[in-house]
Formats: sequence, C-alpha cells, structure tokens
Amino acid sequence: MSWQQLWIGRHEPGLVSWLSRRLVPASLAGRTALVLVLGLMVVQAAGLTIHALDRVDLQRLGQAREVSSRIFGLWRSVVLAAPDRREAVLADIELPLGLVAALDARPIVRPGMPAPPLPAVRMFRLEVMLAAPPRFRPREVLLAATPQVDGMLIAFRLPEGEWLNMIVHLPPPRPWHSETFLSAFAVMTIAAVLMALWATRRLTRPVVDLARAAERLGRDVNAPPLPEDGPREVGMAARAFNTMASRIRRFVGDRTQLLAAIGHDLRTPITRLRLRAEFMEDDEQRRKMLSDLDEMEAMITATLAFARDDAATEPSVALDLAALARTVLDEAADARPELADSLDYQGPERLTVRVRPVALKRALANLVGNAMAYGGAARIRLSLPSKGLVRLAVEDDGPGIPEDQMEAMFQPFRRMESSRNRETGGVGLGLPIARNIFRAHGGDITLANRPEGGLVAMGSLPA
Amino acid sequence: MDTTPHILIVDDDREIRELLSKFLERQGFRIAAARDAREARRLWPLGRYHLVVLDLMLPGESGLDLARWLRSQSDVPIVMLTAMGEETDRIVGLELGADDYVAKPFNPRELLARIRAVLRRASGEAASAKEPPAKAIHFAGWTLEPGRRRLLNPDDVEVPLTGGEYELLTVLVERPNRVLTRDMLMDLLRGRQAGPFDRAIDVAVSRLRRKLEDDGRNPTLIKTVRGGGYVLAATVDRAA
Repeated sequence: MSWQQLWIGRHEPGLVSWLSRRLVPASLAGRTALVLVLGLMVVQAAGLTIHALDRVDLQRLGQAREVSSRIFGLWRSVVLAAPDRREAVLADIELPLGLVAALDARPIVRPGMPAPPLPAVRMFRLEVMLAAPPRFRPREVLLAATPQVDGMLIAFRLPEGEWLNMIVHLPPPRPWHSETFLSAFAVMTIAAVLMALWATRRLTRPVVDLARAAERLGRDVNAPPLPEDGPREVGMAARAFNTMASRIRRFVGDRTQLLAAIGHDLRTPITRLRLRAEFMEDDEQRRKMLSDLDEMEAMITATLAFARDDAATEPSVALDLAALARTVLDEAADARPELADSLDYQGPERLTVRVRPVALKRALANLVGNAMAYGGAARIRLSLPSKGLVRLAVEDDGPGIPEDQMEAMFQPFRRMESSRNRETGGVGLGLPIARNIFRAHGGDITLANRPEGGLVAMGSLPA
Repeated sequence: MDTTPHILIVDDDREIRELLSKFLERQGFRIAAARDAREARRLWPLGRYHLVVLDLMLPGESGLDLARWLRSQSDVPIVMLTAMGEETDRIVGLELGADDYVAKPFNPRELLARIRAVLRRASGEAASAKEPPAKAIHFAGWTLEPGRRRLLNPDDVEVPLTGGEYELLTVLVERPNRVLTRDMLMDLLRGRQAGPFDRAIDVAVSRLRRKLEDDGRNPTLIKTVRGGGYVLAATVDRAA
C-alpha cells in the first residue's frame, strides 16, 4: 500500500462525509430540488451544445456559400477582363472576409500539398466550376488543404496560362453572437429552477405535515386528524396515520376508563369501611384500619390522577409560582410538623407564569413529597426566567439515586427497590405524574445527584 | 319542640346511608335518609330539616338538580359529597349555594366537623337574612372566589393558598373591620380545618400577610389588635 493510498484511506471518509454534510441539503425537498436542478443543468448543457453545433454548421455553410459565390464572381470578372487589365480588375473587386486572391504565374498549390477533405470541397461547391460553360471553365483547378480547419488553397488556371490563386480562410464560427438568445436561455433556466424548488417544497409538505401530526399526537392524543386530501400516496399515508391515531385514542381511552372505573368503584367500599371503623371498639385497631384506608385512598388518587391526565383539560391561568412553591412547602410542613425545619424556599418573592394551577400544584407536591419521604428534607430553589424557561429545583438530603436508574424512576409504578416498603409508602406514580404535568406545560423534569449529596429534581417551565 | 338537629342524608348506596345514619345518630343528630332525588322530594315536606348531606352522584335526577330544587324551597344548609377530582361539579355546587363539600371517600369525622361548623354558622346567621353566595369578593384590590377557592391579586394573577390560609381569609373577609380574637378565629375555623389549628393561627396570619404583600412588621391589611386578635382593615365588596 503506497503512502497515497494510506493518506486517502485515512482522510477520505471524513472528507466525503464532511462534504456531503455541507453540500447535500438535509431536507427531502432540498435533496429533490438538488437532483432536479442538477438534472436540469445537464439537460440544459446538452441542449446548449446541440444548439451551438447546429449553429456553427449553419454559419459555416452560410459563409461557405458566400465565399463560393464570390469565388465564381471573381473568376468570371477576371476571365472576362482583358489579360492586361486583369490586375486592375482584381484590385477593384472588394473581397469578403476570409478570401484573399492574387494573380501569379505559378499556382499557390504546390505538388505534395495535402488534398482538402471532400466535405470542404462540397461545402464550397467547387464542382460547379467544372460544370460551367467551356469559356468560363478554368483550364485547370488545383486544391490543397491549409493548416486551418476551414481553410483551403485554390488555384484556377486562366486560359492564357496564368493562375488565379486564392486563399480561403473562413472566420471562426461565433455560436453565441445572439445576446437575446443567451438572456432568454438564462431566464428560462432560472424559471425552471424556481419552479423545481417551489414544486418540490409543495410536494414534500405533506411529509412535514405528517411528521408534525405524529409529534402532536405524542403530546396530545386528541389532536385533530390530518386532512386526507392531496396526492394519492399522501392521502393513503394520512388515512393510515389517522386510523393509527384513532386506535391509540381508543386504547388510551379504554385504559383510562378502566382505571377511572376501578378508582371510582373503590370509593364506595372505602367510604363504607371508614364508617365501619368508627364503630370499632378497639381504638388501636381502628387507628390502624383508618391509616390503611388513607393509604388506599392515596393510591387511588394517584392512579386516577395518572390515568386521567387532568393537566390536559385544566385551563391555564396566570399564577404566582413563588407563592405556589411556598404554599406546597407550608402544606407539607402542616402535614409533617417534625420536618418543618428541613423545608425551605429560595427564590423571588413573586414570579408570574401561565400554568394549570391544580395540576402544577400536584406536580410540585409530588416532588416535595418524594424529597421528604426519601431525602428527609425539601428545599425549593426557584430562578428567574432565562432563555424563556423558568427553572425550579427540589433538593433533598437523601442517599440519591444511581445514575443508571434515574430515567427508570419516571416509569409508572417504578420505585427504588430499597423503598418498596410501607414506611415510605407510595405507589410509584409521583414522578411520572409530575413529569407528565411539566411536559404538558411544555417543560420537563430531570433528576441529578447533588455534588454535596442528596438528590435534586430539576423542573423547567416556559416563562 | 325538639332542638336536636335534623339531618336529611341523600345517597344512593344503602350501606353508606345506614352506616352514616348510625354514625351521626350516635353524635346526637336525628336522621332521615333518602336513596335518590325522588325520595328526597317525598321526604322533604315531612320534616323540618336543619341540614342536607347530598351526594352529587345520584341515579336519575342529579344531585345538582336536587340542590337547585332545595334552594328554591328553603335556605337549608347543604353539605355536598363529591367525587374526587370532579372540580366542575364542586364549583357549580358551591355557586348554586351549597355551604360546604367533602370529597368521597370521606373521613366520617371530617364530615361531622363540617356538619357542625355549617350548623353553627347557619344558626349564627339565621337572625340576619342569609346572604346569597358570592361569586367574587373584592377587598383592597384583591379578589377571593369562593366557588373556585382561589385568590387573585390586583393584576388578576392567581396566588395559591393553603387550606388553612384560605379558610382564615374567608373568615376575615366575611367579617371586615371586626376584631376577631384568637379564640373566635379558632371557633370559626375548627369546623372547617381538619387537624390541629391552635398554634397555626399566628403562623397562618403571617403566611397570609406575606402572600397579600402586607408588611409583617407594619401590617395595613390584616392588623394585629393588642390583647390577641386580628382585624381585616378593608372595604369588602361582594359580587353575586
């Protein structure tokens, strides 16, 4: 393997991919347009070439006709003139560009010169000379090729033995001499390129629509269906997409109704059990039973909240997020006074955002509840909007979570194995519900271990 | 005449009806129970009820319709039993003139506390004509919406309140420019607020001041009265 191969082998893939990244457009419309424009350029180039060749032929033919008719005229004038007047006649005749003539005792065509190509002879129609009436016919005709393509040396012998020597040299053809043709051609090309760009953009728009609809469906199952018109393939894709969306809708609806029905139907027996507990004689047993029932109710509430996805239906209003954060912490402190000192808020005194109040309060309460249950503390840090996002962090002092399990914590009914006991309780829906709510607002929640120890849940909301 | 409060329970679940009747009877109430709106209408003229416990989820005619009908008949206090999360029902119910609500599955003791608080308020206000339920209460630029249980600041931005703060603010705006001692506040709040509220009144007042942008050291809206009490110093305007 030579060093050149090594060099190419080492550098070419990177270079090629870099080039293709830089030169090949990313979008389907761009690529289609590129192919169309390249094709159009090839076709136009071929068309131009054909046109130019044709034009060159035509020009040469015209010039040759002109020259040959002038040659006849010249010969005629010279032959008809008195031998002593011939020089003067020749000097008086105005010759066209590319034709030089002179009288000489010797022919310009010398023996051993290459013969002219037959097409050239035909082009100048010199055979006509030989068919002329005898008094006009040259006594001898000598032809030779010149180094130039369209040139020829011609020698006609006059009856008196003198030679009329002529050098024919056609001027180079000028296929582009018509400016209107070139500008018309340019206008046509530009128009075709623009049409190609417009048409590809238009034709690929349904693909963009489809992608947008799929993305919308991911966020809102009840997004409006795609229009099913347009070209047949596009219509088919839209129909297939709408069918899929309606199946997903039905599936989600069934699941939601199932969970809601279970949750709803459990309310009556729990209410009954609570009432029955009030008639129990054993205070200790009654207390335990009521706490079990509270736990069951909490699970049902969480499951219903997750299944129903309330955030999607609640209207957005202007809300003081700072006051909401303090409210959630205050309620947490009221519920567990022993942890009141571990709860803290840091951030602006007021911060207005447009959110769904009930849903966002539930999300925050879930984050604070998790921090208290697993981390023994909850500190909310709220920052002023930057880059269009309001950031909100809930920190705790717990053991944190291994990095590789963090994303799994957002899956419903998933809990840390160590927390799967009654002490900390929970169904494993707090984080998924909180994330659903933040995402429904156009934000998100992520987890991270703090360098100082403990976990931090970082939420973002559009400002 | 019997002064024991007479309560009408409307709930479609037989067991809950019976258990709740038994539970409330043990607390010293007289109880009548109806299975649906039709039976409630039949029972209505037969007794002078002091309060109605009404399940909003009834077969046939809805609880809301029955509440509307009851309101057209009298000012009897209504405590609604609502399903969790059915916000709209609750809001409509409170705007219709229901006095309070408890979400199902309810805690019987909390229901009992609410019933007692509503009865106490009803007897206290019986002398004066009962005010129609307000959709919005305006004071010092702020707006309190009882139906939605929310507070809006002068820029119409919702300022979230804890349950305790909301109850305290409601009590204060219902009695503007009247000095309320801690004992009176506790008495007015105990029925509404489940859980211990004793120590929390001062805490709730200071939290509420912070949310109302009232300077804690020199408050102008919720003023501290020497000798242990508070007064809401504002003109209150109720919009029906």
